[in-house]
Amino acid sequence: MALSLHRLDSLLVIWNLVTVGTTDEDGRCPGLITTKAFTPGMYKMRFETGQYWESLGHNSFYPYVEIVFTITNPNERFHLPLLLSRFSYSTYRGS
Amino acid sequence: MSTSRLQHIKDHLLGEYTCAEMAAPYSPLTTHVLNTGMGVPGAHMALSLHRMDPSTSLWNLLTTGTTNDDGRCPGLITRETFTPAVYKMRFETGQYWESLGETSFYPYVEIVFTITDHSQKFHVPLLCSRFSYTTYRGS
Repeated sequence: MALSLHRLDSLLVIWNLVTVGTTDEDGRCPGLITTKAFTPGMYKMRFETGQYWESLGHNSFYPYVEIVFTITNPNERFHLPLLLSRFSYSTYRGS
Repeated sequence: MSTSRLQHIKDHLLGEYTCAEMAAPYSPLTTHVLNTGMGVPGAHMALSLHRMDPSTSLWNLLTTGTTNDDGRCPGLITRETFTPAVYKMRFETGQYWESLGETSFYPYVEIVFTITDHSQKFHVPLLCSRFSYTTYRGS
């Protein structure tokens, strides 16, 4: 599944693309961001779920999923899973 | 003229409505916010409904509202306005948790969904806590 990570430029109030990637066979995407680039701010993970379901020959209620989250302490580890079906999704803050 | 009256006129000119003004007998699109972190309805949460303009790829604001004591917001849209398109429900979850004196991982939640058959009923609930959320397509 194609995905991308964005950071909000708080001055210009626009999203800057940080990383694009595709999940591996385990549904993971290592190397999303470096510790150095991971500054406090508002981020957005965008998952191309519509494309994903289409590639499996299905339609879906959601053309894509965007999860916007706030990082105040970038020294912590953050895990942003997406549990997904054609008609529902869930996310939670993991570590 | 008061600023709120000016805003009211502006909203009507731009085709924006609040849930209270709509007072539709029923809306083909409904929502329900649940605060799973505390086991209560997500009451008094601000939200808005938007429709994507396919020619400009811009979001047009359709309705603003606030959930009631039961976490619901009746009158989101009328059958006539509910045309096939891509829609977005935005929930002001960050403000909501802040009003309860809590922080939250998500400043807001936006759920984007596609409506192809607008004769059906669609229920787009949000089950949320400070550190997680879930949605599903209901009816």
